[in-house]
Order: sequence, then structure tokens, then C-alpha cells
Amino acid sequence: MSETSPKAEAAKLLPFLALGERADLQAAAAQHVLALTGSGPGRTLLAGQAALLRALVELAVAPPPAPARDAARALVNLAADPGLHKPLLAAEPRLPVRLLGCALDPQWPWAEEAAAVLANLSREPVPCAALIEALAAAEPGESGLERLVRALCTPGYNARAPLHYLGPVLSNLSQRPATRAFLLDRNRCVVQRLLPLTQYPDSSVRRGGVVGTLRNCCFEHRHHEWLLGPEVDVLPFLLLPLAGPEDFSEEEMERLPVDLQYLPPDKQREPDADIRKMLIETIMLLTATAPGRKQVRDQGAYLILRELHSWEPEPDVRVTCEKLIQVLIGDEPERGLENLLEVQTRPSGLCEHFKCYFPVLDRPDAPTFPV
Amino acid sequence: MAGSPGTHMEQQEPGATLDDGMDSFLEKFQSQPYRGGFHESQWEEEFEKIPLFMKNSPSEIDPLENPDLACLQSIIFDEERSPEDQARTYKDEGNDYFKEKDYKKAVISYTEGLKKKCADPDLNAVLYTNRAAAQYYLGNFRSSLNDVTAARKLKPCHLKAIIRGASCHLELKNYVEAVNWCDEGLQIDATEKKLLDLRAKADKLKRTEQRDVRKAKLKEKKQQDQNEALLQAIKARNIRLVAEAAEEDEDSASEGLSELVLYGLSSENPCGARLGVDDQGRLSWPVLFLYPEYAQSDLVSAFHEDSRFIDHLMVMFGETPSWDLEQKYCPDNLEVYFEDEDRAELYCVPPSSTLLQVLQHPRYFVKALTPTFLVCVGSSGFCRNYLRGKKVHQLDSVPFQTTSPVPALLHCSGYGDGQPGGEVEKEFPGKKLLHC
Repeated sequence: MSETSPKAEAAKLLPFLALGERADLQAAAAQHVLALTGSGPGRTLLAGQAALLRALVELAVAPPPAPARDAARALVNLAADPGLHKPLLAAEPRLPVRLLGCALDPQWPWAEEAAAVLANLSREPVPCAALIEALAAAEPGESGLERLVRALCTPGYNARAPLHYLGPVLSNLSQRPATRAFLLDRNRCVVQRLLPLTQYPDSSVRRGGVVGTLRNCCFEHRHHEWLLGPEVDVLPFLLLPLAGPEDFSEEEMERLPVDLQYLPPDKQREPDADIRKMLIETIMLLTATAPGRKQVRDQGAYLILRELHSWEPEPDVRVTCEKLIQVLIGDEPERGLENLLEVQTRPSGLCEHFKCYFPVLDRPDAPTFPV
Repeated sequence: MAGSPGTHMEQQEPGATLDDGMDSFLEKFQSQPYRGGFHESQWEEEFEKIPLFMKNSPSEIDPLENPDLACLQSIIFDEERSPEDQARTYKDEGNDYFKEKDYKKAVISYTEGLKKKCADPDLNAVLYTNRAAAQYYLGNFRSSLNDVTAARKLKPCHLKAIIRGASCHLELKNYVEAVNWCDEGLQIDATEKKLLDLRAKADKLKRTEQRDVRKAKLKEKKQQDQNEALLQAIKARNIRLVAEAAEEDEDSASEGLSELVLYGLSSENPCGARLGVDDQGRLSWPVLFLYPEYAQSDLVSAFHEDSRFIDHLMVMFGETPSWDLEQKYCPDNLEVYFEDEDRAELYCVPPSSTLLQVLQHPRYFVKALTPTFLVCVGSSGFCRNYLRGKKVHQLDSVPFQTTSPVPALLHCSGYGDGQPGGEVEKEFPGKKLLHC
């Protein structure tokens, strides 16, 4: 009897993954694959099994009794590994389209898993572009992005899946200018609908995704005045998660935006340090122009940040907070430096200085499912 | 048609052309004058009466006065026309009234149109929406909302109805609903400017309202904390309280201290005086002085518990009051008493006592959070009579300290320098003797 190689073992699973196979066999095979995806070598092995990957995708979108959930989870783990993106897309080029359909289907029970796969895939430029294309190809009448935003912002959009991972999906998509243009369209109401989600209590994944999206949007300094103005009023939504149950004096209170006044004594700050850092970075971006700095100052940001600084336990967040406070209380920069974002092509010394103020468009960590 | 200045065409012969008829008609006037023309002196009035040239339509059409107009009206509102046509006519009529800002009449017209129950859902949706608009301008926001809801049932994507509904919710301060309706509308037309503006406005108002709720809650909590502190202060001093009126009976003794305090604190003393606490945690009470001899009274609105009776009396009676007919109420002559109502006994208070010392007396009960004392002139006939037959206790007097600082007292009408601490109101008008 010849020794069966792992490759051969994997290949043996293939028939059992086929659609129309007995449900219990499918389930067992899917679980086996899921176990494989939990390890690096397992994933590498699967990378070479195009047919198997294709079968997995079919299962992930198949109706019950197919083991769609486990198949989807296997895909999540595979997609978490950037090395698997090419084989996945090669095996099934329509992977983004099909998973998007599931993620945005209000009836699909495993929409969250589908969204998680997309969140992992969209971290890399090639799959991200594929996803953008998939969104653009949606039915006429409502753009795919609009549907995605709606799914994210409408409570109860899908009764069986919370869709938190649409947050990171949007955040990754917002790395592209086209997405930002849609989100910041003044003739529509898009970014405004995202703002309340910075306070969404039940999921740091969703909150992180939304804050990441807002941060990427704030790289568009031409939109700062509009963002800080009454039509969007972004600043209170960025400050609110950073504010605690401060007891300000009557006079200080009146200087704050309405949303930050008279907060109850049980007000909690954003518990996730990474999100707190992103929030501060976003506000920092809004201080890039002189008018923006003025608006941020006038709306009382300093008070909130001062209290945050004395509370903040994480050192790197505290440092970021200090830098922002410096900008707010510091003197106005010399002429020619009013828009700090545009000064990127200066000689290296200055460039480095500004780099530490404005971190590169960052991406949230890839979600994976435990095996 | 009598009275009409119109011309009368003769009956045409069958087969004759219009021109033939016209020629023969006109030939007549070569021999006879035309009688159907306007009268020279009143041609303008007669002109106005012709329906075609009317500038304003009369609101009531009398068929006798104005047969042409009545005729036209019956054509328009003919019951034999289809319901859709009739409804459309009513819609147009309503629109005309709307343009003239006669919203009440517009509502009536639209209602008539809806009564026709025509089969055209679009038309009905428009009738509902238009009526909603008229109701909106009349300030009947709920009726308006009902109408647009009905309109949306017929035509879910009717944007005008959605905009109107959102506006109604805004006026009714249902900000969350207003935003929801705007979002629904924006799903139909994502760039509709009115919806974008309404949404931003409603959202901002919602957030402001939430702030107001938080502010009120905080204020209430602060008030509660203050009341709690006062409660603790009274408890710590072992001061006994009783409830206000006579109806409060056997139960009042068992009523908890906190309820009494809180009730007393929330229902203010008729003159607005209130138990207060200063930065050092010292209390100031509103204190009522009664002068049974002349049925007069004084209210000290903030008698600091560490201040002495004599200090207040010196100020209150610096000049003898107008009701003091015998001019005998001078600080040195005055005696202060409190009554133990239960046992009908009196206690004489040495004027050098502080308020706190007296309040802590085991037989002193503070009623309605307002300590009360009786004052009369010790050597007077009235006083002797008043005290006769009653058991009078003497409280241990506190040695008079000439150097004790007088806690700040605020006195009105010409006294002193307006320091905080107490306010004496002379002649509390109409206050009758509570008990004797």
C-alpha cells in the first residue's frame, strides 16, 4: 500500500464536497477542510487544490442542508492568508461577486461569514479591485456601494446575521478614491449615516471599520470644511467615544458641541485602544488646514482631549493624543505650511516629521475563525 | 335667457352653411338696430357678468342671477361624469384655492374629490398629498400626517408625500421618525435636496433634544443630592420634624423623616423661603416669629443655626414696629417662647441661645420645616394673661458672649449692609395666629 501524501488525502475529500452529495458526508468533509485551514501548511496545501477551492466556494453559497457555514469559515481562514488570494481568485474568479451577493442578501443566514471573507480579501489591492468591480456591476437603480452602506447602517437589515464585518469591508474599500468620492458625495447623504456607528456598542469590529472609513475619508482635505460644517458635523461623532463622564463647569460645557454636553456619570470611553488611536488620528487629519484647525479648536476638542490624556492608559495612544493637543494649542505654522497634508514632497527632514503626524492609510487586522 | 346681452342666432335651415346663416343674420341689421348690445352707461358691469370675461368668480352662483355661470357649473360638476373626471375637477378646484392660500376651502375640495372614491390610485394619492399640504399650512400636522400615510399606501414611492410627512414629523418633534422618513425618501431619490436638508435639520434637533434631556436629568440629580444632604444634616442634629397640617394625624408620627424633609423641601414655604446649607455645612432655616398680642408676625427667611435670637431681635426691633401701639417691643423687653403643642406647654427661650440649641430641645418639633416662636413683652399685662394657666418651662440659658461674631444677617428696609444670612420681612401681611 503506497503512503498517501497529504495532497492525495486532500484530493480524496473532493468528491465528498460536491454539491448533491450526502449532507452528512459533505458536512464531515467541510469540517476536515476547515481544520486544514487552521494551519499554515494546511493552507498551503489547499492553495494547490483549485478544484477543491472551487467546490468549497460552491458549498459556501449553497442552500441547506449544505454545510455552507463551515465552508464559509474555511474561506475566511484561507482569505486571511494573503498567499491564498491568488489561488482563490484563480480557482473561482467570481468569488467576490458571489460572496457579495450572500453578504448583502437580507435572508442569507451566513452573511456575516461571507462579509468576513470579503473583509480579509479586500485588504489586498487585487481582490479589493475585484470587489469594487463586483459592486459596480450590481443591478441598476441602486449602486452596490449604496446597498453595502445601507446594509451596514440599517439595524435589522438581516434578521439572522449582524453584518459587523461590513465595517472592515467598507474601511478597506475606502482606501480607493472612487469609494471615498461616493462616501463624500455632497449631493447625497452617505457619510452622515455612518457617523452614529462610532458609538455602536455591540461590536468593536463594526466600530473599528467605521472609524477606519472615516479616517481614510479625512485624507480628502478638500472636503474638510464640509465635513466639519453643519451638513455633516463629523467632529462630535469623533470626540464622543473619546469623552468620559467629565464634570465640566457651566461655561466649559457651553463651549462643547451639543452631543458632548452633560454626559451622564456612567459614560464610558471607547474600550479598544486601536480605535481610540484611529479617532485621534482622524481628528489630527482634520487639523491639516488652517480653517480646519480653527473649527476643531472652536468646537472644544481641546477640553475633551485634555481629559482623555489624563485618563489614557495606553502609552502610544497617549503620545498620539499629546501630538494632537500640541497642534491645537500650538502657534499657527508659518506661511506655506498651512496645509500640512500637501507638504509631502518637501525635503526628507520635514517629510519624516509630517509622516509621524499622518500615518499611512492603515488596514484593520484580518479576522480569522478559530478552527 | 332673460337679461342676457347675448345675441340670438336664428335657427338655421338644414343644409344651409354657416356663412349663409351669418350673411342673412347680418343683413338684418341694415334695417333694424341691434338690440342685444351693451348699454353705454353700464357696459363694464354687463361685461363682467359674462362668464368668459369674469375676473372673479362669485362664491355662490345663483341660477337666477347668473344663469350662464350656473349652467357652466352644472356641466363641470355633473354627477353623470365619471368619478375620475369629477375627482380631477375637485382636485383642480382645490389647487386653485391652495394657490390663493385659502387652505380651508382647499381641504374641502380635496375631500370632495376623495369622496368620489374613483379608481385611479395616482389621482387619489395626489388628492391625499395635496390635502396634506393644505392641512400642513393650517397647522394640522397630525391630519397632514394621516393623509400622507394614506397617500403612501396607494403610492409608496410618492416623493412629495414622503417630504411632507417628514416635515410633519419635524413639526411634531418626532425627530427620529423624521429622519427615518427622509432615509426612506432618499432611497427613492438619493439626491433630493429637500430631504437632505430636512434630515440634517431633524438630526440636529434630535441631538439638541437629547442634550436637553441629559441636562434636565443632571439638574434633577443635583437637586436630589442637595435634598439628601439636607436630610442628613437634619438627622445628624437630631432635630424632630412633624408634618404640616392638622389632617396629617396619627400617621404623621410614623411618617419617615426623609418623606417629611423631601415633602417640605419640594413644597415651598408660601413666601418662598427654604431650608439652606452653606459651604461649611451649616444650616439656615426660615423662622416665623409670632406676636400674639397684636396678631402680627415676622419671617426671617434664613436664620443661621449658629446665630442667636437676640441678634435677630436687635435688628428686627431696632425701631419699634408700627403695630406696637404702646411702643414697648424693644429687644431688651422681649421674651421668646416655643409651644409644645402635644402637652400644651410653653418653653421660654433665652435670647442668647442659638437657633440650633433650641431646635435640638427634645420637646421642640419643627413643623413644615419652619421653626416658629412666640414673642411678647415679658412684663406686659398681655403676657401675664397669656401665660396664666399654662405650664412654662425655662430653658437653661447660654451665657451672653459679647465678643461672639454675629453671623452675617441680611436685613431689608434700611438696616445694615446686606450680608447674606437672614432676611427680615416686617409685617408679614395677613398672617393669622396659627395656634394659641
